[in-house]
Amino acid sequence: MSGTQAGMTAAQVRAWLIDRVAFLLELRAQDIDPDAELAELGLDSVYAVMLGGEIEEEFGLVVEPTVAWDNPTITVLAGHLAAELGVR
Amino acid sequence: MPDLEALFGDPFAEANPVGFAAVLAADERGELLPEGEALLTGYGLGAEFVPTELGGRFDRADRMAAVLRAVFRRDCALGLGHGVTSFIAAAPIWTSGNAAQRNWVAEYLLGGGRLSAAYTELAHGNDFTRVETRATRTAEGFVLDGRKELVNNAARADAAVVFAKTEDRPGSRGHSHFLVDLAAVPAGSYRRLPDFPTVGVRGCLLGGFEFTGCPLPGESLVGAPGEGMETVLRAFQVTRAVLPGMTLGALDTLLRLAARFAAERRLYGRTVAGLPHAGATLAGAFTDLLICDCLCTVAARALHVVPEQAGMLAAATKYLVPRLAQDAAYALSVLFGARGYLREGPFAMAQKIIRDLPVLTFGHANAAVCQSSIIPRLPRIARTVGEPAPEVLFRSDGELPPLDFGLLTLDYRGHDRVLLLLEGLPGEVGLPGVFEAELARWRDTAVKLAPRDTIILAGRAGFETSHRYALLLAAASSVGVWLANRDRSPFLDGGAWIRAALRRLGARLGRHGGDPAEEDEELGRELFARCADGVTLDLAARPLGRSAGTSRGRGTGR
Repeated sequence: MSGTQAGMTAAQVRAWLIDRVAFLLELRAQDIDPDAELAELGLDSVYAVMLGGEIEEEFGLVVEPTVAWDNPTITVLAGHLAAELGVR
Repeated sequence: MPDLEALFGDPFAEANPVGFAAVLAADERGELLPEGEALLTGYGLGAEFVPTELGGRFDRADRMAAVLRAVFRRDCALGLGHGVTSFIAAAPIWTSGNAAQRNWVAEYLLGGGRLSAAYTELAHGNDFTRVETRATRTAEGFVLDGRKELVNNAARADAAVVFAKTEDRPGSRGHSHFLVDLAAVPAGSYRRLPDFPTVGVRGCLLGGFEFTGCPLPGESLVGAPGEGMETVLRAFQVTRAVLPGMTLGALDTLLRLAARFAAERRLYGRTVAGLPHAGATLAGAFTDLLICDCLCTVAARALHVVPEQAGMLAAATKYLVPRLAQDAAYALSVLFGARGYLREGPFAMAQKIIRDLPVLTFGHANAAVCQSSIIPRLPRIARTVGEPAPEVLFRSDGELPPLDFGLLTLDYRGHDRVLLLLEGLPGEVGLPGVFEAELARWRDTAVKLAPRDTIILAGRAGFETSHRYALLLAAASSVGVWLANRDRSPFLDGGAWIRAALRRLGARLGRHGGDPAEEDEELGRELFARCADGVTLDLAARPLGRSAGTSRGRGTGR
């Protein structure tokens, strides 16, 4: 993972999050519901904090450790990150 | 402040109202020793849990652990039931409470009040995000409904901190803390559940609450709505870092009893202490106690010195220390034989401590839960390098910056500054190259952990890697404490204990080596000298309580 943020679209941010969650849960990307709560998908509170760290590494952003608590689905989180990155 | 040990007096004096005989009699009755509670109330133990800026004596986490360790040396039940429970409940208030709540809890604890920490529900264990007790918003405030179980002092506390659901949706923003003044809510809106009978700490009142439409004023909410999990993950870094250090007092007493037993008991024509296996058992338990103290010292001081790393140290300490203490207690129970199983006679305290110790492995975060909070962070730690921790982290009497709850973080950015001590160990500690190799091997495993092994569903690989991480942290902490405190006593300076510590930790990592006989002999000499002098068996070697008029022997400065 390394600062791939340049020129990313909101759809790409969302696709990255789906891939990341699928990878962690050892599921196929098409089996991940982007509108389900991360907690329902099987990512507990501690892991959601770690996802914040991975987001920082991937997008070169500084985010609150609780970013994935406050934006609890992939769709909502992607929207939040896209706004932070200034992409659409 | 008077010294608690001096107030407690000689534990072995039959007539001492807070001696072991009285502690055992209270345990048989299944109650907390009333004279012990009175003594601690007179001492103002509650002030130990209240920050100095609010009028208490809590300014250093390591000092708090040392004070409470004296209580645990006397009686685990008193330490939990009269002590640490109130601190566990207060920590969320110090973390997220407003000025009025902080002042209220400070005054309550300074006045000798007991605060219950109402988290647990039997159906959900440590899985706090599934807690079902619910606080529903009303025009006047909230209404609380649900049951809390296995709550210390529920039968008699006048106030409680209650963790309750405030949102319907799942996730980590669904719960909040409430500070409940039980004297102020309407009678009949809650009841106190009967106490659960237990194997150990039988004097503790482990009960519960059932809330039924219990109205709470709006100002009882602690922090912002939904901030409960965040508060827990900060506040419990402090409690989980200090609790294991307090409980080492129990192992201290068990080991002293074992040394006394081994010196008195004659078998096969010699004292038990003269049997090589028994001597090795005593030296091993003594070494394990020192290892535990090193890890606890570093975990407590880290809250002040490297707060951004404190969470990992706290989790590793709460995981490993009860386990090492439990293993040491088992080894000592073999030495005691039947004498460690009898509920009467001069060594009856041994069976009590052996029954009491297991509560520490699951009480206030079960071992597996602590490991689960470590596991997701391991790959990131393993692939980042940086500066080693400063010496002040390890020096027991060194000055500390204030503890700022606001600096405790949920995430864990970057490297581990304690582990780095294992790179380039001085030759004096023995086992050349072993810990450097084990650290490299651990890093290699941790960065390659399968993704699934880094989440709550982690399998053996994740847990094994976190176990090895905790052992490496214990080794690094021991080396750090040794290097930073060599001038404090000839024993701490001499290399025997650190060589023995690394040998034992190396063996737990699967690296057996060398002949421990020489170190065991020196540790045995130190152990029996400390028992004869009446000083504690931890790093501090403090004077123990004595009968009035008894001279003080060599005391500290060993």
